Amino acid sequence: MLQALFSHPFLTMSFLAGIAASITSGIVGSYVVAKRIVFISGSIAHSVLGGMGIFLWIKRTYNIAWMNPLHGALVAAILSAFLIGWIHLKHKQREDTVIAAIWSTGMAIGVIFVSLTPGYNVELMNFLFGNILWTSTSDLILLFALAGFTLCTVLIFHSKFQAVCFDENQAQLKGISVTKYYLFLLNLVAISVVILIQVVGAILIIAMLAIPAAIAGSFTARLSNMMGWAVIFGCLFTTVGLSLSYFLNWPPGATIALTAAVFYLLNLARKA
Amino acid sequence: MAIKSNHLFFQYEETPILENVTFDIQPGQFVGIFGPNGGGKTTLLKLLLGFLKPQKGSLEILGQPPKDAREHLGYVPQISHLDREFPITVLEVVMMGCLDKSFFRSYTPDAKEKALQALTDVGMVDFQNHSFGTLSGGQAQRVLIARALVSNPTILLLDEPTASVDASAEEAIYKLLARLKGTMTILMVTHDLQIMMQNVDRFICVHRQVHAYSQAQVCDHFAHGLYHTPLRKS
Repeated sequence: MLQALFSHPFLTMSFLAGIAASITSGIVGSYVVAKRIVFISGSIAHSVLGGMGIFLWIKRTYNIAWMNPLHGALVAAILSAFLIGWIHLKHKQREDTVIAAIWSTGMAIGVIFVSLTPGYNVELMNFLFGNILWTSTSDLILLFALAGFTLCTVLIFHSKFQAVCFDENQAQLKGISVTKYYLFLLNLVAISVVILIQVVGAILIIAMLAIPAAIAGSFTARLSNMMGWAVIFGCLFTTVGLSLSYFLNWPPGATIALTAAVFYLLNLARKA
Repeated sequence: MAIKSNHLFFQYEETPILENVTFDIQPGQFVGIFGPNGGGKTTLLKLLLGFLKPQKGSLEILGQPPKDAREHLGYVPQISHLDREFPITVLEVVMMGCLDKSFFRSYTPDAKEKALQALTDVGMVDFQNHSFGTLSGGQAQRVLIARALVSNPTILLLDEPTASVDASAEEAIYKLLARLKGTMTILMVTHDLQIMMQNVDRFICVHRQVHAYSQAQVCDHFAHGLYHTPLRKS
């Protein structure tokens, strides 16, 4: 694998993309798991299909070359994050219903617009199931820029995010704006989802966000340490998953997600 | 005056929770708050903490609206309201009492030293690096008291701190509160009137309205069903 990694530039790019994605998903995923908002992240991840479908339809129908389904994904993810965040903060008792509604509505809109879009939508299939092997230099720059942005954000705001995740009342008592920081965190999840779509795809993104962080949580009592461990596990899963997909000729996104799931089960067995 | 409530009214949707609530609490008093479930105790605490706004009447803490007086408040929630599986250490929980609301600063100066001192005061300093989730109910409650004390509050609000702890932990918490008595104003929601009788200066009963009672009055009517038998008002 190592020889192949350095002899095939596309594999080197994929490996580096996996590292960058693991940094982002390890950090953001730790908040997602600790705050128990995996379901919310799933809803945001699936809502992006609606945005991608609409943007792809506009692009093909009106021949707008610069339009990219990822732009639609970003708009849908941010809108969903704001809507779910607002419902969580103002009408907690309706939260689960709204999350489920956004989840299925996003997918429904996506399916309808894909069916209306002329031509074969291989582009959308890559976003749905991911294709890390298609990583370009500009994708790689974007992935590492996101990793750097996430790291800097967390270095500055970790104590506030931690307080909002653990005890909203205490954060509010100390003058921290729970609304502002909770929405900020959800938008960080939304942006991460959109960027990580390229690695594992919208359907499998929850695996990258939740599984490395969930395993990391069983090794430490500190959220900050959990992030470090989650990044290490993420790198391990993407590298092992990528290697397996190369040798077995399996789809890389699904193989990475399956590798993470196997490690998760092994960790559960270790704890039992 | 530490706390002054004047004809306070609050309702959720169309259901009145607190009506015409008028009472005051002097600085340094230790007040026990009791009342039936659904009587408005938690709503009153949320109003005092500034999480809710009165719909009619006024509520003042140290002469200010509750929201502006938050820096003078320490709050101990019920342990059951927190996620015990959250990855956080005891020291990190207590340092949350020193959070700095400014954009780029995490904690107020000397936060770690203050947190360690507060943990020492509640007898939990040896557990500073333990996971909060591994503590017993009584230990966790003492850590939350340390978090409330770390910013030197003028008023301490406690929401049933002995609700899910064993007898020895309950005794440790009451000893700690007895030590704090007189150093700050303490308001504690509790159902445990018998033990509270030894500690508090007065009681207030929250049952849609609020009535203040002395220890003797509560003691006198203890056997007759506090929430249903009208007490002679002071």
